[in-house]
Amino acid sequence: MKNFSTLSALLLFVGLLKAQTTVTISGVIKDAQNGETLIGATVEAPRYKKGNVSNEYGFYSLSIPVSRDSFEIRFSYIGYQPLRRKVKASSAVRLDVELKPKGTLLNEVEIKASSYTEKVHSTEMSVSTLSAREIKALPTLLGETDIIKILQLKPGISSGSEGSSGLYVRGGNSDQNLIILDEAIVYNANHLFGFFSTFNSDAVKDVKVYKGGFPAQYGGRLSSVIDVRMKEGNNQRFSGSGGVGIVASRLMLEGPIKKGKSSFIISGRRTYVDLITRQINKNNADVREYNPIPNYYFYDLNTKLNFTFSDKDRLYLSGYFGRDVFKYKDKQFNFLFDWGNTTGSARWNHVFGPRLFLNTTATFSNYQYKVQNIFQGFSLRLGSFVKDVNVKADFYYQVNNTHTMRFGANFTKHQFVLGRLKAGSNDGKIRFEAGQTFGGSERCLYISDEWALRRNLKINYGARVSLWQNEPVYFRSFEPRLAANFSINDRWSLKTSYARMVQNVHLLASSGLSLPTDIWYPSTHIVRPEKSDQIALGTSYLFGKNVLLTWEAWYKRLKNSVDLIDGAELYGNPNLEGQLTFGHGFAYSPLELEIEKKEGKLTGWIAYTLSWVKRGGFPDINRGTNFSPRYDTRNNLNIVGIYEINKRWQLTATWVYNSGSVGWLPIGRMTIQDVAGAPIKLVVPVYGDRNNYRMPAYMRGDLSLIFRFKIKRLENDFTLGVYNVTNRRNPYFIYLNAETEGSGADLTVKSIKAKQVTLFPILPSITWNFKF
Amino acid sequence: MKNYIFFALSFIGLSACNLSKEVELDLPEYTDQPVVECYLQPGKHFRLLLTHSSAYFEPLGLDSSFVQKTLLQGATVTITYSGQTDTLYNNNSFELSPFKLYNYTGHNIVSDTPGIEYQLKIILPNGGGDISAKTKMLSFQPIDSVVIQWNLIDTSARALTYITDDLKTTDFFRRTLNINSLDSVPEQDFVWTDRVSTTSLIVFGTGFDLWTGNKVINTVYHIDQDYYDYLESVQLAILANLNPFAQPSGIKSNVSGSANPAGIFTCLVFDRDSTLVKM
Repeated sequence: MKNFSTLSALLLFVGLLKAQTTVTISGVIKDAQNGETLIGATVEAPRYKKGNVSNEYGFYSLSIPVSRDSFEIRFSYIGYQPLRRKVKASSAVRLDVELKPKGTLLNEVEIKASSYTEKVHSTEMSVSTLSAREIKALPTLLGETDIIKILQLKPGISSGSEGSSGLYVRGGNSDQNLIILDEAIVYNANHLFGFFSTFNSDAVKDVKVYKGGFPAQYGGRLSSVIDVRMKEGNNQRFSGSGGVGIVASRLMLEGPIKKGKSSFIISGRRTYVDLITRQINKNNADVREYNPIPNYYFYDLNTKLNFTFSDKDRLYLSGYFGRDVFKYKDKQFNFLFDWGNTTGSARWNHVFGPRLFLNTTATFSNYQYKVQNIFQGFSLRLGSFVKDVNVKADFYYQVNNTHTMRFGANFTKHQFVLGRLKAGSNDGKIRFEAGQTFGGSERCLYISDEWALRRNLKINYGARVSLWQNEPVYFRSFEPRLAANFSINDRWSLKTSYARMVQNVHLLASSGLSLPTDIWYPSTHIVRPEKSDQIALGTSYLFGKNVLLTWEAWYKRLKNSVDLIDGAELYGNPNLEGQLTFGHGFAYSPLELEIEKKEGKLTGWIAYTLSWVKRGGFPDINRGTNFSPRYDTRNNLNIVGIYEINKRWQLTATWVYNSGSVGWLPIGRMTIQDVAGAPIKLVVPVYGDRNNYRMPAYMRGDLSLIFRFKIKRLENDFTLGVYNVTNRRNPYFIYLNAETEGSGADLTVKSIKAKQVTLFPILPSITWNFKF
Repeated sequence: MKNYIFFALSFIGLSACNLSKEVELDLPEYTDQPVVECYLQPGKHFRLLLTHSSAYFEPLGLDSSFVQKTLLQGATVTITYSGQTDTLYNNNSFELSPFKLYNYTGHNIVSDTPGIEYQLKIILPNGGGDISAKTKMLSFQPIDSVVIQWNLIDTSARALTYITDDLKTTDFFRRTLNINSLDSVPEQDFVWTDRVSTTSLIVFGTGFDLWTGNKVINTVYHIDQDYYDYLESVQLAILANLNPFAQPSGIKSNVSGSANPAGIFTCLVFDRDSTLVKM
């Protein structure tokens, strides 16, 4: 706490010392067509070589020491027509602007991409952004657009396994990503055991991923921040969009509540394979030996309201509700398994003046799973949930033309119910019960300052202090943050960053694939807060007007890492901590490269990462020696191309290569006779050290062709996609198969083979999208 | 044009079908381990099966001499309890129906007195190292009753097997259920702990998949935690090899020593009930 006070005082002192008489221009930058605020739009005064970008709410503030009565301000944003405005010099100028999109037939505009010049000169590094256009244009699995799968194509991020919506960022585990939707935490961002993500792209406005160099306002996870912002809704006219695919259909409606002042958006998506399976089951209901097909579906609902009360006050209310449902019913069982997230946020923006902006947020998050089985005279109910309530205040303060500060406070109350089991007979004579309940709270303060030391040297320094409380346990954490940018010239800059992150909620997941029943567990006197320290060095170089090359090298160290012991028993176990083991980890990359082009007929990126990831020091795993986690792939190369053939046709392609993930295979076998009445288990696999085998390389190419057309006011497209266009048999998992024959004394092994299983062969899909 | 589309779709469909293929693997090196299985069953002689494991792709077992090649002979095996030591002699013996094989047999009979501690010591031939383990005789856990219940919608039935548990102690059970014969593959075989029980009555049930004429053979073993962990780990090891969602596990053995052994040394106390399903 002492460190924090000293740092705050120093920052404020530095800010005041440097204050000069300047003109401060502030306002909100919006889309002229639908009133959506634009995040990261550039505002600059070319004559004075000063510039800034709009924040997450479209608000900007720019302080300029002027020498004339009037001067020109330029607003720009990729995919929009730039706007120039003359401004009279006075101490404070309010200037709200609307930028017009360049537009295409479908009016599918790029609503996100910081200008490359700004990117080159920003202290931000290790950041990836996604535009709505990219999200919708790229080839997808079974025609379902998926933000998480597109992020997996960015450098430093891997999926872990085929088709998965897992994110492993710079050697971090899948639970080390802070995934926030309108600032509310999403604990499980997957549907269907990880094959689809929870984000409905129709409702998403902007996605930004921080892989390192984390700004001080973010904390709570070690490896990444994935900040997803929902659209606000068109405040100019009623409109909608949707799509019909082979797996799911979706519909989004938006429009003004009061034109120009308030708007709504509501968006839903649902799969419909269960409608077919239900009918098949119904048709076979009278067949005695028929085993019904389980019914499975998932759905999402996103909704948002926003109200502009004045040019100083704005209120946003948003919510998300999504569920996966798996049902099975026959003459013996009535089984239900459902899981999903609920989030809600209320945010109030207040502009105190041209220099000071406040966002106050209250959020609610809940992730739960529930298993229920009812059979004659008996029932079983099993479930877990993690619930958060969070309030925070974030200030954005343009101190002067060289200092921009961010500071705020945050309080989160957690509630964990783990493995709650209630089972037994309906008459109450037999009962089984289990489960654990935990509370926990986190308080934190943060402050940071972006300081333009010289015209070509900027630093962003700050810190975050937090207190975790899970009575009677308290943990204090101090998380320093530092980033610097040195611009060699207008096109070329050098960057560096350092960030410490602390995580107090931990996912107890097996080394296998992620499951909805994986348990979130709080820090306790045994499970200590996990910590990471990451340092990165890099450079950005702008070729021509619109090709940006980014190279980064990074090293990350992890402390107090949590893993499960071999054969861990998580369900109905009152001593979960006895199933855990603790160690450390590290990851590094000398080469994380991205070449990106966001404008022109051909856009896309090439991403290459060479990295090493290790875990070690776990007394119960591999005798404490270092080992590779499953997603430690040495070489990752992703190529993404979007080619605008003409206004009607667009071709997109992706090519993915990685040099093979890590598997854990048996190395020996033994024979077990077992006790009376049980036949011999002839081949029991003997596993050696964890993750002892490097799988074959993975390679996949996807194609997508979009045809756009308009029928009166209805804009349409047909997207024909082909996943795994070369039909390559990529490894999903490998198993060892021993066929036996005979019985008793003649029992013998007939053959021993290794089999590789592929999940997805070539998969064509077609989707119809519309917009009005 | 229609033909081209038909052939293209047929090609895609056919080529997409085969999702499993045989691959050549170069697995890490593996050194064979001795494997001990010794279940002390009251009223029976001390009997022990000592085998060895092998590298996964070793051709061991690809012909009928598999059993002979797997057995680990020539070891010195002793079991010490209540101040006396029984040295097991190395001789293959069989039990039929169900088939069981032992290569070491003692002279003494296992007592059913709960609480007696047994110590196993094995010295492998040719300086192969030693193996040791301990276990205690457990109390007999009777089956209270087996109730046959008929389904309301057809003529199928289920069997509910009741036992009374002591809630003051943490107990572990194994339950197997065979239909008609002990030689059959068990319809159910699982382990259970009373950690989550809040009532002393425990029931093990079947689905409504029994029919008139079925003989339901219920066996409830009262086991110790070592055996419980061992069985769980064996099951996980088998499952994880085939299931990418499962976490593999090494075999949790209660035998240890310089020979780097695997296996189990435990007491086998069980109750068995045979019930005929009839109207």
